Amino acid sequence: MPGEMAHHPQQRQFNPYSENGGTILAIAGRDFAVIAGDTRQTEGYSIQTRYAPKVFTLTDKAVLAVNGFAADGNMFVKKVKQRLEWYRHAHAKDMPLRAIARLIQTMLYAQRFFPYYVYNILGGIEDDGTGAVYSFDPVGSYEREACRAAGAASSLVQPFLDNQIYFKNQKAAPGSAHPTHLPLSTVIALVTDSFTSATERHIEVGDGLEMYIVLASGSSGQGLEGVKGLRELSTKGEAERVFVIRRDLKKD
Amino acid sequence: MFLTRSEYDRGVNTFSPEGRLFQVEYAIEAIKLGSTTVGVRTPHGVVLGVEKRVQSPLLESSSIEKIMEIDTHLGCAMSGLTADARTMIDHARVTAQNHTFTYDEPIKVESATQAVCDLALRFGESVHDEDAMMSRPFGVALLIAGIDEVGPQLFHTDPSGTFTRYDAKAIGSGSEAAQSELQDKWHKQMTLVEAQILTLRILKQVMEEKLDQHNVQLAQVTKEKGFEILDEKSLKEVIEQM
Amino acid sequence: MDHFPTNWGRPRNEKHDAYNTYPLHDRPYNGPKDSFAEGVQRTQQPIVTGTSVLAFKYKDGIMMAADNLASYGSLARFKDIQRLHPVGSYTVIGAGGDMSDFQYIQGMLEDLIIEEENTAADGHKLGPAEIHEYLSLVMYQRRSKLNPLWNSLLVGGFKDGQRFLAYVDLLGTTYTSSTIATGYGAYIAQPLLRKAVEGKEDLLTEEQAREIMEQSLRVLFYRDARSLNKFQIATITAAGATISESRTLKTEWAFAEGIRGYGAQVQ
Repeated sequence: MPGEMAHHPQQRQFNPYSENGGTILAIAGRDFAVIAGDTRQTEGYSIQTRYAPKVFTLTDKAVLAVNGFAADGNMFVKKVKQRLEWYRHAHAKDMPLRAIARLIQTMLYAQRFFPYYVYNILGGIEDDGTGAVYSFDPVGSYEREACRAAGAASSLVQPFLDNQIYFKNQKAAPGSAHPTHLPLSTVIALVTDSFTSATERHIEVGDGLEMYIVLASGSSGQGLEGVKGLRELSTKGEAERVFVIRRDLKKD
Repeated sequence: MFLTRSEYDRGVNTFSPEGRLFQVEYAIEAIKLGSTTVGVRTPHGVVLGVEKRVQSPLLESSSIEKIMEIDTHLGCAMSGLTADARTMIDHARVTAQNHTFTYDEPIKVESATQAVCDLALRFGESVHDEDAMMSRPFGVALLIAGIDEVGPQLFHTDPSGTFTRYDAKAIGSGSEAAQSELQDKWHKQMTLVEAQILTLRILKQVMEEKLDQHNVQLAQVTKEKGFEILDEKSLKEVIEQM
Repeated sequence: MDHFPTNWGRPRNEKHDAYNTYPLHDRPYNGPKDSFAEGVQRTQQPIVTGTSVLAFKYKDGIMMAADNLASYGSLARFKDIQRLHPVGSYTVIGAGGDMSDFQYIQGMLEDLIIEEENTAADGHKLGPAEIHEYLSLVMYQRRSKLNPLWNSLLVGGFKDGQRFLAYVDLLGTTYTSSTIATGYGAYIAQPLLRKAVEGKEDLLTEEQAREIMEQSLRVLFYRDARSLNKFQIATITAAGATISESRTLKTEWAFAEGIRGYGAQVQ
């Protein structure tokens, strides 16, 4: 058999992509959105760093999580932020969430034949005050959803979310219906559990958790009291409020 | 040793010693030869009205097009060299479509106006191998009407690329009389019908011919129906209410 | 007509994008074309290579080390190559991977420093963060042209009271960490460094750091066939950047004789 190989000219080609592990997740509530990601960055079986953020605030009410090939991800976020700045100068307002979503699609699709190898999840508050999550594939297909997990452990987390958020394979008690929106405290608990579980079962997930919470204007923020590691990022006077919760995950 | 004024109105890109661009100023003058065009903003929407000069009984008046759609929420009326407006409106339309394509939202009225004005000063000699530019300034002024999240708005653009927002504005040959009349009659809480009637009354005052549904055109932009040019029937109804 | 203001006044090429289908940020290139572009070979593999670079944070700043070997495949070709290189006044970079690419990068950074610090002479000095950002953009740009600079680079520095240590490679992948090891060192030295350094970054003295570094280099030399026991150690602290003379590490091979499958076979 090795003799046969010699007949075929072999070409080694530079592979411009890599996969850097980690998982991201976002859940939309009635008047809030939670966007989270772990902070481990890997290549193969190596942990490159225990702290490489994958979740970024874009505006007062939009947060973007980026997962996949880290170099592409960082460049993509950089370019999105640049476009948001240009938009602000041209149109004298912050870009609305659905506009950011469409912009991300056009930016991803522009690279259709040399894609950004990243899965994006955009979360935040729409102009009508509702919590929203948009998820994207690497070439720009997108839709608005109630929740989405992406990245290395998405196959572990998404089914859990389907069950706990969409109540798939659950029957409501007779005479009652499943809730359409979950309260913030429940969502925070689900996100935390998703990541501790993913950390247990997936080698590329762990080290740290960053969970961003965007509250719509007028939202009470009930469920945030006494939460460990909570910090507010927004300054007083902003209509929407943004919080981040930083937690440790197992480092093994 | 100052050169005479006439030597500074040749080159379109040459300032006079007093700091003026004569060609641009002449272009602004050209608008005063155009037919009268009126725009009125109300809390419910914006009304645009134009006079169509029917110079011959054989002229098909419906072929005179002085109000055009830019986007579903944006319209535009013109006065001056109306052929020049085609370039500007074409640009505004593409810009608006491109905005919707990229951002999934209608473009703001001011942004569309800005886009049109970006074109205004692209005249003069072109450097070798550059995209060909225009040889002279546009000879047309526009009233751009539209509705966005800010509300109903009316913008005026002139050949210098300057744009300004107005509650009510008249341009063209009868603009001076029309503008002072607008100043008298316009008030904050006007209804759309009141604005339509005011527009027609002002046009009637400054027109030489007797106003009818063939020699004027009305358009409006409303929250409910966006941009629409009033058809002859609706126009006739407004004329009857005058 | 071209409806994109960013194209106005530029040379035109209407054969491309006549209908303005490209979004603003992704304009087609209308400049002159290189007729021979298709015949140009791009780097598909490194030729003369350096192995690991190690670096970590300690009390006073950053310590970085690399050996002096440049290999040609398995041949130890050049044994007096510098793989640590100072950039500006506050930074040292260390490189693994293709040495010609690294020397090209050195030249490029020298030009950058001349342009930004000497020509501009505005009192703004490039710190390690800026140099790392610049390098990562160059590396990402080159990978995006499928013509990478085949290196793993560490950037270490100290400026305005801040330690800085970060990584960038041929793919443009970046990260920061308190201990970093490239190449084979990522497998062999990184676990040792993490154990010795993580959580003690603000306590380790220079002597302790040097001890940790030498021990890691020693283990690497024992295990990495493309390494040399001749190396340099750089420190970047408030006092500036210092790259030591080459030193040779004492190693002990006598024990190998006793190892089954390693020394002389004893049944």
